[in-house]
Amino acid sequence: MAKVYNWQLGREMDYRFDNGNAKWQFAAVFNTNRCIACQTCTMACKTTWTFSPGQELMWWNNVETKPYGGYPQNWDVKVLDLQEKANPGGQVWDRSVPLTTRAPYGTFDGKTVFETADGLTKMVTGYTPTQEEWKAPNIHEDSATKFPKDGVQLPVHDGWFFYLQRICNHCTYPACLAACPRNAIYKREEDGIVLIDQGRCRGYRKCVDACPYKKSMYRPNTRTSEKCIGCFPRVEGSDPLTEGLPMETRCMTACIGKIRLQGLAKVDDAGLWVEDPTNPLYFLVHVEKVALPLYPQFGTQPNVYYIPPRWVPRDYLKQMFGPGVDHAIERYSNPSRELLAVLQLFRASQTIVFSFKIEKGPKIQELSLNGVVHEIYDDVVVGYDSQGREVVRVGVEEKVFERPQQFTMNTI
Amino acid sequence: MKMPAMVRRRMPTLLVLALVLATAGILQLTNANPAASQSLMLISRAASSDPGLDPNAAVWNESASIDVPLTAQQQAYPIGGGSIATISAKSLHRDGNLYVRVEWTDATQDDSTLKVENFSDAVALEFPASASATVPSICMGQVGAGVNIWQWRADSQVGHGDPSERYPNLWVERYPGDGPEFYTARAAGNPYALADGGPVQDLVAASFGNIGPAGSQTVQGQGVYQAGKWAVVFARPLNPGDASLTAFHETGTTDLAFAVWDGSLSERNGQKSVSAFVRIHIFPGDAGGSATPAWLIALGLLVGLSGLGVGLAVIGTRSGAK
Ligand code: SF4
Ligand code: SF4
Ligand code: SF4
Repeated sequence: MAKVYNWQLGREMDYRFDNGNAKWQFAAVFNTNRCIACQTCTMACKTTWTFSPGQELMWWNNVETKPYGGYPQNWDVKVLDLQEKANPGGQVWDRSVPLTTRAPYGTFDGKTVFETADGLTKMVTGYTPTQEEWKAPNIHEDSATKFPKDGVQLPVHDGWFFYLQRICNHCTYPACLAACPRNAIYKREEDGIVLIDQGRCRGYRKCVDACPYKKSMYRPNTRTSEKCIGCFPRVEGSDPLTEGLPMETRCMTACIGKIRLQGLAKVDDAGLWVEDPTNPLYFLVHVEKVALPLYPQFGTQPNVYYIPPRWVPRDYLKQMFGPGVDHAIERYSNPSRELLAVLQLFRASQTIVFSFKIEKGPKIQELSLNGVVHEIYDDVVVGYDSQGREVVRVGVEEKVFERPQQFTMNTI
Repeated sequence: MKMPAMVRRRMPTLLVLALVLATAGILQLTNANPAASQSLMLISRAASSDPGLDPNAAVWNESASIDVPLTAQQQAYPIGGGSIATISAKSLHRDGNLYVRVEWTDATQDDSTLKVENFSDAVALEFPASASATVPSICMGQVGAGVNIWQWRADSQVGHGDPSERYPNLWVERYPGDGPEFYTARAAGNPYALADGGPVQDLVAASFGNIGPAGSQTVQGQGVYQAGKWAVVFARPLNPGDASLTAFHETGTTDLAFAVWDGSLSERNGQKSVSAFVRIHIFPGDAGGSATPAWLIALGLLVGLSGLGVGLAVIGTRSGAK
């Protein structure tokens, strides 16, 4: 076991290998507040990568309704339960430490999925979901906890559900990789994308057992495991469509609700994100801290970050996204001028935005919400590609266009 | 010089240990293998008719079997196994081919890996890849002393079915294609993923996590499950004509180890029941035609003596510890 630094936990932890760090890290921010569960992302991935015999039950991208839904069923409850049994009462955070980029959410005092395993029979605490559990990817869709007679209102709804969008987290310390006795899984240095070498895999399914997010999946007719490949031909710019420029993945660019933004974060030798407040991902995760990792306590340092849903009971959200939830919801509910501008970048461009600038605009509104005065400015956010060329320019105020008279009939 | 009290008390033990070490040294020098399970020798005689691949072929009655004890694999992650206590083995040869028949008790017939939670019953034979002086580490060999592994798998014998073959009511509107490019592992040249790979894989390894397909696949095999037991026959030319694979010689002796996986216990990879190395000796000529040669008796005696030495050492250690 090597010692590695997990900044999401604010501490060192045990990991099987010490070379978990990529130079760049694939990362994304998903805004759960905006998702409409249309599953366009799910179908974009399915029709690109998993439409062949043997992949019928495989959904590298899925959107599930929380708290009851899950693909595979109850995956998160089961892993949380295993961890709790391994360390009863000990899975807690210490928030008394200074909150820096080395420990933005405090320090996790509990044990990770690596630290509860014995290292002999298992490298990672996990379980293998049965085929039955993979069969109903959208089970409990839109099921709320209850339907209060008097309706619901913010800040927290009494009856609630929300959509959780899930892909492989291309973890900094992948559990799948640590569990593979054949070393058939690797993490790419150039973008941190985690891949299963289909030539080496011998179908031991240790990765399926180990991945706490259950994003490594078994294919019975090749007897190998397959997983989300981070659409690497797009991310590396080798897909002809990209014209050589890093492009966001299929599930990101297809998003109808404009909830997704994906890119690459530069990583230093110690495994921390290089400070760059002009990178939209760095800005959202480290400057505003409005987007949080999914189940950071598992310890894999996952790289999809979620803006938590505003209406959901905080205890539930803190278990899911860690102790940064209150701060994140406060930031999202009362956004700074910069945050409001950067949120406009979601789905504004297919080309990956590596940096942004904000051009200040005039004040367009002033409104009072819960006693707080909000001033809205029509700032313009400009996004730049990997070469520093402008690829997109969006204002905070959504433009309204009126169609000429002759198009008003029979058109959408 | 005064000896420390503890050393004085353990003198008898130390002497016995020294004797055992010396015996082991002699065994090594005479090219006998101390890693081998010491009293077990599988004799391969010439068969009177072609054994083929059928484990129930009558010709197997010409061969005496040995029972090889198995234990859990404890050397490397993931450890496990140990559920199967013994495997019995027989061997014959004919027309330049070596045949090995193994049989073990397993209450469940696990021959499908269609579901993610299904694992296959399997058995493997392991030989040193070359007649090198160094005995390879029993588990997966070591650098410079690789091993040649023949693995038979129950699921591969049944075949690689698409789910639609097993679930007749499965309905999919349209698969865009079914060329190898749509089966990624096959397109990547993974022999294990091939639809028509057969039940036996010829593998080579020089360390843990480093097992891979042999350059040529010349091992054949077939298994049957009957009365709560698997019986499997392996067949291969004595000399496969490939330097990376074990070549057998008539009148030759080499090491052989066994591994068994029980699919119903989710055993795979390192989770397996394994044996120590035993010896396999190939006799020329007809079955039953040769008596045990004098050198073999001498070796047996030497092995027996060293066994006595180990026994004494254990007793000595126990009394010393009191
Ligand atoms: S496409 Fe976007 S809005 Fe639709 S389900 Fe997927 S993440 Fe949600
Ligand atoms: S989410 Fe699972 S499959 Fe993806 S990198 Fe992390 S551990 Fe591996
Ligand atoms: S990144 Fe690509 S491969 Fe991964 S879930 Fe999204 S579309 Fe599928």
